[in-house]
Amino acid sequence: MTQHEQSLLSVRDLVVRYPARGNSRVPLTAVRGVSLDIEAGGIYGLVGESGSGKSSLAHAIIQLAPPASGQVMFKGQNLAALNKSQINPLRRHIQLVFQDSLASLSPRRSILQTLLEPLDHFRIGAAASRTDRAAGALETVGLDPQLRHRYPRELSGGQRQRVALARALVAGPELIIADEPLSSLDVPVQAKMVELILELREKLGIAFLFVSHDLSVVRRLADTIGVMYLGKIVECTDTATLFARPAHPYTRSLLAAVPVADPGHPKPAVLEGEPPSPLTPPSGCVFHMRCPEKLELCQSVEPGEVAIPAHNGSPVNNQELKTSSHRVRCHLWNMTNT
Amino acid sequence: MKHPVLSVRKLSVTRRQPDRASTVVDSVSFDLNQSEVLAVVGESGCGKTKTAEAVMGLLPCDTWDVQAESIELDGTNLAALSAAAMRKVRGRKISMIFQEPLTALDPVFTAGNQLCSVLCRHQGMTTKAARTSSMAMLERVGFAEPDHIMRSYPHQLSGGMRQRIMIAMAMACQPRVLIADEPTTALDVTTQAQVLRQLTRLGEEYGTSILLITHDLGVVAQYCDRAVVMRDGRTVEEAPVPKLFSEPQHEYTRQLLNATMGVRSA
Repeated sequence: MTQHEQSLLSVRDLVVRYPARGNSRVPLTAVRGVSLDIEAGGIYGLVGESGSGKSSLAHAIIQLAPPASGQVMFKGQNLAALNKSQINPLRRHIQLVFQDSLASLSPRRSILQTLLEPLDHFRIGAAASRTDRAAGALETVGLDPQLRHRYPRELSGGQRQRVALARALVAGPELIIADEPLSSLDVPVQAKMVELILELREKLGIAFLFVSHDLSVVRRLADTIGVMYLGKIVECTDTATLFARPAHPYTRSLLAAVPVADPGHPKPAVLEGEPPSPLTPPSGCVFHMRCPEKLELCQSVEPGEVAIPAHNGSPVNNQELKTSSHRVRCHLWNMTNT
Repeated sequence: MKHPVLSVRKLSVTRRQPDRASTVVDSVSFDLNQSEVLAVVGESGCGKTKTAEAVMGLLPCDTWDVQAESIELDGTNLAALSAAAMRKVRGRKISMIFQEPLTALDPVFTAGNQLCSVLCRHQGMTTKAARTSSMAMLERVGFAEPDHIMRSYPHQLSGGMRQRIMIAMAMACQPRVLIADEPTTALDVTTQAQVLRQLTRLGEEYGTSILLITHDLGVVAQYCDRAVVMRDGRTVEEAPVPKLFSEPQHEYTRQLLNATMGVRSA
């Protein structure tokens, strides 16, 4: 329980299920029991392939997709238990940025109108001061306030994504949930956005849940990374450890698949097969069908979450293990620890 | 001196507009050698896609003005071909795959139907022969159950599967040149590794030279032999891949590399 009190956001055993539709008679379980914590001012990177449930999780946190079960504690309040009118005022503190800035900004509103909307909705500041506040938000994200009279289509992709970020910032949130915000941008523009997000965290103390399929971006941004596969977080630890000592075979495969911008580096390793359908999840470990290191056990028994020692090779101290933040769902680690 | 398979000289593409004409590709020249993977790198809007579309003859002439000294494919000047003659070359000698396979595939036909039509049209195969060939082709690009894929519609398949079908279609006639326009940008890293391995393997096997358009320098470093860097419609640098990374000549190339290192360090 101590973690609940410390964390800005604390998700426990969250399940997101979409009702059966069309030909399928079974509901689709997109998120199957996820727990995560984000501290104030922390950046949590959520990575995974498309279909792993990372967007569903992000949306469920702010109740855009109502969770089937589980808790979403935000500053001690369980968002999942609140009704619409109770949750509305809290949305000021949790804002969203989406992948496609063109689709998420209204084409018929000028940038200023877009930025004024959250201010008007939450009645932030005196009406007369809101225009200044909106212009200030543009400056914060590194845009010329003169752009406020433009329309989204008149801006470049990078500028639009900055506007989307400004819209999230203008209400003064404590947590921004960013769902693949950099995926549609060129690398040099991505690099600038990464700098900007780090700066915002530094200056304003905003926490981020940063959803991405791009490991290299997450590496630069996040303090903690959770790796998702078929609706479960299969590994979670601090960024440095994840890249230095990835423990789950899936994490290792993901890291090995990234092409490194150095012609001398070995070619990316290929993980065979496709992720299984969430409609018909495999028995046992969700990853066993593609796992290069699978055991017989993996086909039938689902691995629970285990903490693993912080340093490889050092003698395992039980007390240390309990507090270790490196957690993994894999039988290989279950075996070594018991 | 090797003879290039595709040789583009002074290609310019201008958008026809009532008030002003804007040039998106400005006098671009490059050679693609036999069995080579050539990268065309640049940010969005630098003209790399328009260069490819102009080579393929895919730009409608009412909105685009394509000028070139020559676009030679195995000694044939594509720039001088009629639309009808170009249709016979496209898909047979030179083919293209696109960034978004869902929009490139026809939603109302099965994958098998679309794959067979390429073979019937260019190889003059009967439907039955085309079916057998198509199944073999699907196996080549890594499908364990080609029969099932033949009967599937694009929306029933994942992004990686769709892109592999595009590859099967584009490579069905063993073309001399394949242009791949950001083929893996919309895919996950694990799928990207599968698709690019498939693509380069088939290229080697069929002796197809590949023009790989990308903005990802990681992809350039790992899968390409040579690279052309484009900016604002012009080529700013052309070099073998190892040299491009070790001794970038142009200031813009250095900027690109630095931005990549910032985000994508090993």
